Amino acid sequence: MIYHRAEHLDDALNLIHQHPDFLLLCGSTDVAVQLSDQNTVQGLIDIGGLSELRAIEMGSESIHIGALATVTEIMESAAVRTHLPLLIAASEVFASHQIRNLATLGGNIANASPAADLTAVLLVLNATLTLGSKQGRREIALDELFCGYKCTKLDHEMILGITIPLQEHQWYYRKAGARERLNIAKVSLAVVKNSGGYCISGASLNPYALRLRHVEELLNSGDVSDEKISEALAQDIAPSGSFRSTKAYRTRVAFNMVKEAFSSLEAS
Amino acid sequence: MQIRCTINSRPYRFECEPEERLLDVVRRLGMLSVKKGCGEGECGTCSLFFNGKLVNSCLLLAPQMQGAEIVTLEGLQKETETIRENFAKEGAVQCGFCTPGFVMRAYDYIIHEGSKDEKRVKEALDGNICRCTGYQKIVEAIVKSMS
Ligand SMILES: Cc1cc2nc3c(=O)[nH]c(=O)nc-3n(C[C@H](O)[C@H](O)[C@H](O)COP(=O)(O)OP(=O)(O)OC[C@H]3O[C@@H](n4cnc5c(N)ncnc54)[C@H](O)[C@@H]3O)c2cc1C
Ligand code: FES
Ligand code: FES
Repeated sequence: MIYHRAEHLDDALNLIHQHPDFLLLCGSTDVAVQLSDQNTVQGLIDIGGLSELRAIEMGSESIHIGALATVTEIMESAAVRTHLPLLIAASEVFASHQIRNLATLGGNIANASPAADLTAVLLVLNATLTLGSKQGRREIALDELFCGYKCTKLDHEMILGITIPLQEHQWYYRKAGARERLNIAKVSLAVVKNSGGYCISGASLNPYALRLRHVEELLNSGDVSDEKISEALAQDIAPSGSFRSTKAYRTRVAFNMVKEAFSSLEAS
Repeated sequence: MQIRCTINSRPYRFECEPEERLLDVVRRLGMLSVKKGCGEGECGTCSLFFNGKLVNSCLLLAPQMQGAEIVTLEGLQKETETIRENFAKEGAVQCGFCTPGFVMRAYDYIIHEGSKDEKRVKEALDGNICRCTGYQKIVEAIVKSMS
């Protein structure tokens, strides 16, 4: 296996251009597991040293988080604590202290796992991504990044940063797993209610994290019964049965969480 | 490939394969406090400080050590003396396999957070697994080390 370490951003973009089939490596918490599962990786491009992509910056209308910011750095950011408590709530139950010190936000998104908790949260916060390649930069809504299980529209690009618009909102977050912590979600649900209505997404409910549009529509209508929630969920989610839990369990938990989110956000 | 880094404040220079785990390299170099439990980031027995942050060395690859500053329990004997004594006194050690990882996390917690609230201490141990003690004695040993 070949290993390259990018010293700065231009270097990284050149390496990606020269070796389109090499895997990027950042905090390595997902890559390490991938390498032991199937060792077909020919080469690695280590972008972990690009300190220019770590900063968390507060703007007048948005917060920008560098792709290399770790979960710990996000939790320590005063700007995120003040304006994005939902992202903090999800970070606090993310893996373990040791992993939060390594895991990056860019890695969580790019890995495109169905269980990516922070990705699910960023979807309801309407995040956009800045992508970079040798050809230049482009912006894409996070909502448009995924194309299937572990599949993204990244085209020999890397994620440079994540921009989250500031907005008045109320939120709900719940994660169910086998243990209280160090916990890959069986189900997690992130809900935001703002002037435009409800935004809902979840992890481990579909082949990749996505917005639950039918449930959103239903909750926005205010005409909510158990039966209608079940119907809307049936249209929006397709959880897999896995060694972690069954399809029926995940559906039931998602139902309970939607109900709880609605009643708590309507009451507040 | 050739790596240069510092481990426990001493410079090291060695050869490694790109796919080797930091855990295995550190053990090969003689730092045996770093244990291989799960090899997948779940148990915390391989915890060490990597550029000042406590991480699972089973999740890092050897080339990531280039230029890094690594500290294992061997390099923190004086700093962790009270913690280790309290683990022994409180019965927080049974088979002992998990102990170096817990002592590393306890030290990290005490210097960076240090709340004596048992609930906070318990939460702080979210990345370490012990099969023997039931955790309560570990929590007590850590709280005692702060007084
Ligand atoms: C024990 C354990 C528990 C975990 N618990 C959780 C959990 O609770 N919730 C959760 O969501 N995840 C969890 N994870 C998964 C993992 O820690 C996260 O997905 C993490 O955010 C990945 O970041 P990383 O920097 O380590 O990524 P890496 O492993 O370095 O990379 C992951 C993928 O993203 C690509 N990549 C990385 N950075 C970029 C970039 N900037 N641009 C483009 N591509 C990039 C890499 O090529 C690779 O394919 C857990 C993992 C382990 C081992
Ligand atoms: S061996 Fe690294 S966490 Fe278990
Ligand atoms: S004392 Fe045996 S695993 Fe903790």
